[in-house]
Order: sequence, then C-alpha cells, then structure tokens
Amino acid sequence: MKTWQVVLPLLIVCLVVVFYHGLYGNPSYIPPVIINTPAPDFAAPELYEGKEMRLSDHKGKVVVLNFWASWCRECALEHSSLLEVNRRYENDPQFVMIGVNYQDKENLAKEYLEKHGNNFKHVRDYAGKVSIDYGIYGVPETFVIDKEGMIRHKSIGPIIGESYTHLIDKVIEPLLRGETLKG
Amino acid sequence: MRQRYVLITLILLSLSSMAFSAPLTEDEIQVKVREISKTLRCAVCQSESVWESNAELALQMRAIVRERVIAGESGDEIRAYFISRYGDFIVLKPQVKGINQVIWFGPFILLAVSAFLIYRKIRVWVKQATKVTPSELAPIDDAGRQRIAEALKTYHTGEK
Repeated sequence: MKTWQVVLPLLIVCLVVVFYHGLYGNPSYIPPVIINTPAPDFAAPELYEGKEMRLSDHKGKVVVLNFWASWCRECALEHSSLLEVNRRYENDPQFVMIGVNYQDKENLAKEYLEKHGNNFKHVRDYAGKVSIDYGIYGVPETFVIDKEGMIRHKSIGPIIGESYTHLIDKVIEPLLRGETLKG
Repeated sequence: MRQRYVLITLILLSLSSMAFSAPLTEDEIQVKVREISKTLRCAVCQSESVWESNAELALQMRAIVRERVIAGESGDEIRAYFISRYGDFIVLKPQVKGINQVIWFGPFILLAVSAFLIYRKIRVWVKQATKVTPSELAPIDDAGRQRIAEALKTYHTGEK
C-alpha cells in the first residue's frame, strides 16, 4: 500500500472528527482562563454606604462574587438562591458574599434590591474595571475565591437548580473545609 | 578634548531620554488607542472590534486601553492583559501558539504535501512515458522514410 493511500484517508478521518466535535460542542462556550489564577483585587464604592470596599479586606475568607444588574432578567431568577446561599453561611466568619453591580444606575440597583430583598453587601462597578478584570461577558456571572485568594470557580448564568446544589456541595463546602476542588 | 566629547555625549543622551519620556500628545494617544482597539474583539458582540463597537463593554474596554496607553504600556502589553482575562478569544488575530499554529501553518503544510505528491506522480508518469526505447518503436517502412526525406528537403530548401 502506498503512503498517500494511508495518509489521505487518515487526514479525512481527522477532519471528520474535528467537524463532528464542532457540531456537537457548544459554539458559544469559551473556556474561562481566569480559573486557578489570583483573584484581581479591586476597590469599589459600596452601593449603600458609599465607602470603598476592597477585595483584599476579605483575605482568608471564601468569597462569593456575584456580578448582576437590575436590567438583567436572569439575575432576578437567581436572586432568591443567592439570598439563600448567604443566609446559610452568613454566620461563618470564613465566608463573605459580595454583589458587583454591573452597567447599572444606582437608583435602579437600589430599587431592584428593595423589590427582591437583600442580605449581603454590594459594590458599584462604575467604569467596568472590576468586570473586565474578571473577564465578564455579561450577567449574571458568579466567582468563588478560596481563602488563599485564588479564583476556583466561575459560573455563567443563573445559580438555580443544579448549579445551585453544585455551588453549595462541590464548591463552597469543600473550600470552607480547606479542600481543593475536584475537576 | 576627551572630556568635552564625554560631556556632549551625556547631554545628547539626556536629551534623547527626555524625548522618549515626553508625554504623548492627544493625537498620538488616539492613534495608539485605535490601533490597539482594532485588534481586540468586543467581548459581547463578537464579530466587531472594540474600536468599531458601541456596546457598553466595548466602550469600557476602550477606556482601559486609553488609560494603559497613557500609562506607557505597549500594544502587546495591553493585549496580554486582555488575553489574561478573556483568553485568546479576545484578540481578533489568532496568536501563533498551541493549537492555533494549525491555522497559521496548516495551509502551507497542506500545500507543500500536495505539491510533493503531485511532483512524485508527475515523475512516475514521465518515467513511464520515457520507458520506450527506439528499438521498441514500430520500424519505419520505405514510404515513411521517403516522406521524412521530402519533409527535410522542404524544410532546408524552403520549397513546397
């Protein structure tokens, strides 16, 4: 058998595999590069008190960072789950949850929280610097940062159903116990 | 005399360093911002560059590019910052690294392999075509010889 008679079918098979993979993969999924990298520190004004909050103020804690906006429907969908997460861990000194208000107006953000309820602190990202530092595409996006200040989890879309239980059981709980995440 | 040369060199060096550290003019900043923004993809619109897009995120990205240009960062440094946040996806021109190398070099490799295969095939054809020796050809009969002689004569004399 000649070389080209082996190489050519092999190339065709490779191409078919690549196209097959492309067809069945999610074309809009872009693997996050920020996982397992140090969480960028930020200084942003708190939504209510106006004083500056830094991420580094919470060093040594497991931080849940949720990016949201009042105009975002999916954010409203996940809001009760976020309140539940914070209710569950708010007495744990090793845990903190911070909301980052994204591309929004202050009064609309406050109205939204009054309507949907609130039990954690929020900062405003005026110029989008925090969002871009975290590689945000849209909202809602949620990050979990471990006690060493490393980003260990990123979730795109609302934290509801399976993603809620995954966040609790597979991310927050192990990180609070000081374990490393699997997968 | 030598001291004078040293002094002149030092003055020239300090002048050139002053020229390099001089702040950019607004026009220079604009040109750089445009140049860099055109190479970055708007993260939410995807098919447009940060320069072309009017999406809020693109405007914010442009503002960050501007800030970093003013701070004296190069285009590569600014692109590296965005890549560290969004991945290679954020640059419109794929980077020549990892699996991306297939995109850059694949067509050329394919072209070279195809050219090689065609060359080999042509060589085989040529070899097969020249395999016939004169003795293997059909013998020329007398009528043929006469026709050749006439043709040669016409060729040399120009007569028809």
